[in-house]
Amino acid sequence: MMTEYSVEVENLGKDFGPVRALNTVSFQVRSGSYFVLLGPSGGGKTTILRLIGGFERPSRGHVRLMGQDVTGLPPNKRGSTMVFQNYALFPHMNVERNVGYGLKLRRLPKQEIRERMEAMLEMVGLAGLNRRMPNELSGGQQQRVQLARSLVLGTDILLLDEPLASLDAKLRKEMCLELKHIQERVGITFLHVTHNQEEAMTIADRIAVIADGDLIEEAAPREIYETPQTSFTAGFIGENNLFRGRIEKVEADHVTAVLSAGKVRVPRRGLEVSEEQEVTVSIRSELLTLTASPPEGDGNQSLPAEFVEQVFLGLTTNYLAKLEDGQQVLARGIGEGEGESFAPGAPLHIVWETKDGLLLVK
Amino acid sequence: MEYSSPWANRAKWCYLLGVVFCLMLPVFYTIYVSFNEFGFGSPKYKFTLDYYVNLFQNEEILNALQWTLILCLLTVVATVPMSLLAAKFYKSARNKVPFLILMLMPLFIPADIMAASLLVFFKNLNHYLNAWLGLDWFNLSWYTVWIGQILWTMPYAFVIILITMSRYRVQQTEAARSCGATAWQAFWQVEFPQIRPGVFSSCAFVFILAFNEYTRTNLLNGGFATFTTYVVNFMLSSGMEPEVYAMSAMISVTSMVVILSLIVYMLTRKELRESEERGAGTPPRSATMAGTG
Repeated sequence: MMTEYSVEVENLGKDFGPVRALNTVSFQVRSGSYFVLLGPSGGGKTTILRLIGGFERPSRGHVRLMGQDVTGLPPNKRGSTMVFQNYALFPHMNVERNVGYGLKLRRLPKQEIRERMEAMLEMVGLAGLNRRMPNELSGGQQQRVQLARSLVLGTDILLLDEPLASLDAKLRKEMCLELKHIQERVGITFLHVTHNQEEAMTIADRIAVIADGDLIEEAAPREIYETPQTSFTAGFIGENNLFRGRIEKVEADHVTAVLSAGKVRVPRRGLEVSEEQEVTVSIRSELLTLTASPPEGDGNQSLPAEFVEQVFLGLTTNYLAKLEDGQQVLARGIGEGEGESFAPGAPLHIVWETKDGLLLVK
Repeated sequence: MEYSSPWANRAKWCYLLGVVFCLMLPVFYTIYVSFNEFGFGSPKYKFTLDYYVNLFQNEEILNALQWTLILCLLTVVATVPMSLLAAKFYKSARNKVPFLILMLMPLFIPADIMAASLLVFFKNLNHYLNAWLGLDWFNLSWYTVWIGQILWTMPYAFVIILITMSRYRVQQTEAARSCGATAWQAFWQVEFPQIRPGVFSSCAFVFILAFNEYTRTNLLNGGFATFTTYVVNFMLSSGMEPEVYAMSAMISVTSMVVILSLIVYMLTRKELRESEERGAGTPPRSATMAGTG
């Protein structure tokens, strides 16, 4: 029976002795979706995954998989299976015995085990490597074997704990897309933990940002990128410039905020705010431009700054400027940029369209 | 390595074999004497098996040999699983140091002190159990020896198993569990095959320790002799009879054969298993390592 949510986590928390690894977290994962837990190391995302998989016992809260409360069940009694970061293949078994391990435990007929195992190796692109030992495989191949070993069981939920973290950058990008395509083909729920935002943006249907043992926010990748709800997310995802300040004037659809370097108008986005409230204004680096003279009119906002340096990165160029209070500001342009060029120390204005300023109160 | 002199390598081997030969020389001499009709110290040599024939016609010795084998096997059967459990506990324990000290404590107590303490302990225990409950459980007998043997062989077995276990990655157990294995299946099918060499070595080691042990066995036994206690007591009472050489030779040869066969078994087994897994006709690992990407 297909439930609407295959994973439901309710007030889940975990303490290791006096250390609180996870505060109290609740979220739901829609069946058949690719859900990513994203956050910095030590934030508690792996703890959440291990609690869902049954490898840790929660200090509080509940885990429901496919509608069934599994909080008290061991990993082998849950409808989930897990792919680990590394070292998780059985080194004394060859590829086909690794992949067939779970099926053998279920006492399936030999013929069926062989057919399912072969089909799965084909799907992960390892056909013909049946007899290889794990130490004869590259890191990428080992992770594919792990994936096959889990997927062959046909469970409803696959948990992935930083599965690509030990691979090099190029392979990680390839495998990332492949994971997404495999998930679309098998149609089960993937719950993937990573600290890499590019990886998360590539594969996720939804992203939950986890830090300091809390779920900071949860949304679709585009929303998380374009309109983060918290200054933490804005700082963690993308390359955003965050300016702290307080509100001077509240209007119907805009507020005026006083920052250390000047006053700016920011869309209010329906937020409940009051005068003198501390806020953060976030502007994505690709929406900033640097100009010698301040722009005319209400459609743009600007702050005075001085030029620091520019760094050519191939596809993009980073321009660094410094506000009067010393805060660094990053603007990004495509290629080598067609804008004005500045000498280090030259005075300039950082400019953005009023609608691109993002008001954050959390 | 490519540039190092082949003679340096040969010299290292010669040195190693030289040291081993010097260490083993008295043992080889004992073996030599045990086959000489003229016995110890004689310049003349005539091959004979008489001492061995005498040995095997001596019922006391055969009895002792039988007891020894039973005692050694029982010690292995008790010590190795207990040490394995202890090692598993140690790996998962949060506070490891106190446990490690407790486990290794018997190593730091001299054999005769431990044997004497156990003797006093068992005597008293038996006395009180007898007086209060009418039980005669700790009368000196084969199982007081057995307990003594377990106590002193356990630290060795524990350390040997722990060393092999330290290379094991616990993610593999978790992976097995997430494939549907119970805790026992994950241990038996995934962890045990990888720590098997350590378990086997500790079996052999415990066997030999129990076989060669004299002090504890001699003090704690209730009147039966093991091979070693028989040999030593025989020597102490009757001096170096030629039979003693035959017995010593047999003990040494048995120990060496057990250890050597174990080493050979371990060395060949891993290769054998891997080539089985890889299947016939597959090139060796070194040839397939390259070009995986």
